[in-house]
Amino acid sequence: MKFARWFLCSLVIVSLAVRANLSAAPLKVAFSDWPGWTAWEIAAQKGWFKKAGVDVELLWFEYGPSMEAFTAGQVDAVMVTNGDALVTGAGGGKNVMITITDYSNGNDMIVARPGIKSVKDLKGKKIGIEVGFVSHLMLLNALEKNGLTESDVEIVPTPTSQTPQVLASGQVDAIAAWQPNSGEALKALPGATAIYSSANEPGLIYDTVAVTPQSLAQRRADWVKFVKVWDQVVAYLTDSATREDGIKIMAARAGVDPKEYAAFISGTRFLTLAEGSRIMSSKSKGFGSVTGSSVISDDFNVKNGVYGEAQDIGSYIDPTIMADALKN
Amino acid sequence: MSRKRWFQVRHDVSGASRRWLTLLAFALPLAVWSAVSYVPWIWHPVVKIEQPGEVSWMRAGQLVPKEDFAREVAAAKEAGLTLPSGKRANPIFLPAPHEVGRALYTAFTTKPVLRGDRWLHESLWTSIRTIFWGFVISSAVGVPLGILCGAFASVSRSTEPFVDFVRYMPAPAFGALMVAVFGIHLEPKVAIIVIGTFFQQVLVVANTVRKVDGGLLEAAQTLGAKRRQLVWRVLVPASLPELYNDLRILLGWAWTYLIVAEVVGVSSGITFFINQQAKYRNFDNVYAAILIIGLIGLVTDQVLAFLGARLFAWKNPRPSRFRTFFQRLFAGRDVLLFPDEPAKKEISA
Repeated sequence: MKFARWFLCSLVIVSLAVRANLSAAPLKVAFSDWPGWTAWEIAAQKGWFKKAGVDVELLWFEYGPSMEAFTAGQVDAVMVTNGDALVTGAGGGKNVMITITDYSNGNDMIVARPGIKSVKDLKGKKIGIEVGFVSHLMLLNALEKNGLTESDVEIVPTPTSQTPQVLASGQVDAIAAWQPNSGEALKALPGATAIYSSANEPGLIYDTVAVTPQSLAQRRADWVKFVKVWDQVVAYLTDSATREDGIKIMAARAGVDPKEYAAFISGTRFLTLAEGSRIMSSKSKGFGSVTGSSVISDDFNVKNGVYGEAQDIGSYIDPTIMADALKN
Repeated sequence: MSRKRWFQVRHDVSGASRRWLTLLAFALPLAVWSAVSYVPWIWHPVVKIEQPGEVSWMRAGQLVPKEDFAREVAAAKEAGLTLPSGKRANPIFLPAPHEVGRALYTAFTTKPVLRGDRWLHESLWTSIRTIFWGFVISSAVGVPLGILCGAFASVSRSTEPFVDFVRYMPAPAFGALMVAVFGIHLEPKVAIIVIGTFFQQVLVVANTVRKVDGGLLEAAQTLGAKRRQLVWRVLVPASLPELYNDLRILLGWAWTYLIVAEVVGVSSGITFFINQQAKYRNFDNVYAAILIIGLIGLVTDQVLAFLGARLFAWKNPRPSRFRTFFQRLFAGRDVLLFPDEPAKKEISA
């Protein structure tokens, strides 16, 4: 009897959740631990969404589960890198990137043991990376810029969270990871240096907010209001008077000491709406535009078997939201 | 303190010794941990830099393996540079007991900074609720099914092979599926716990029911028991004490799925705290959180054991410790102070 009652309750809950896509419902946005995304918490804490007239619910996930929740249709938007937006789309969670928040400017690094001073020294060495992820993409980019190819080095598949220990143990000569793992790797092996980072190739990784096509179609005006709030967040973090408070909020969201967290901010290049809009609408090849960067990511993903077919990049990017947000 | 007294086969030790041994069970690991943390020549494989001197890559607070440190000091001495100085220390993943104690205190007393955030004890309560509901739902279906499997061979043969097959499937693999079906809040986490616990539960319960003494069943049949009575009036009461213990153990099993379950969907509960602290290498907080979970599990288990002894007192007849205590309290000074000696009887005039 108890089971029957619970089963019935579960059915009711599930059916209500399915029907909850009414326009009165808040915009559900999934975000996770990356400075460009954690910064949105400042807007939530300061009530800027309410002031802008849009009801937003920010939901905190681990990065992987956030994409799972998006693919399952449980949230309206997710904050992902442009490469992962394609991966999520290919996996059934078709999405449209409506705004970019930042690009990685040093938070992704190749950390090498003492004795290896440049990317050229990596020839013939072992490198620990998580295959198919952005760190892999960054490594290939670094090798290409220095006249090497993937076959010139030996890749050792390593989960990103374990790269500091693996580097310290001496099993590999270098690792590629993002913060906080890359910073930890520098500390774990004394004398280790970052021989390459995303600062060497701005635009390698753009961080975006991707929404479901149906939510975008139904509530476009709300999404424009949402995107417009970003300028206030960037201003809050750039202004030296309010920067500390902003970092305090972000650090609290991530659950770490603000002084520790401040170090991660410098590795992230926050983009104002105006800067971002230019990069979003540009169709240039290469990393200077979201389109160009996504095409490169798409090729990389197909080549490494992350998914089978090349994606239609144009359908993943909608620069008009940012343009409308700027107009008001 | 002869060996004979401490190592008698199948013989419990005396009351005071019992208490000391229980204390030793916890004091010994704590002593080993304290020794490794505080005694400078036990382990301590790294050096914590205090003054980097003129060595280019050293920073204050950095941890350097002691061989590398010695090498750098020798090299600096030869080159005539200022020598670096530092203290022997343990690696970052082994904090000292007092650091963990401090982290424990800080974690509970830190006010949540953000609006909408929770205190640690609230997150802990969320985790407890998740386990509770997962275990209750699993038991609500698992225990009756297990009893039926134990009682009837036909049910057993049609259910158990499939249950045994699913038992090996890793519950975390169902994460994305659970989010798709149940949503992102409490429900998928409860579902993962159910998946992890249910299939073990059915098999364990079925096994326990099968172990009931056949003589009881025969005696009941001699007395004219019908099939339903055999199950409900013989099998279930006879296996109840062991079932209770099985469920206690399975509850511990359910707890181990907590970390896995709470990563699914919106980050919540104590797992979010553990994962974030581990990501940022604040291992004293990680240890503190793990200790809290261990403590909750231990206390829960002891409370359940106590309840079990009361519920099934006929299994292990023994005077209640509470009753004995109160008896002694009111029996007079002599009995209270010398409980093991026979009480001197008061001769009434």
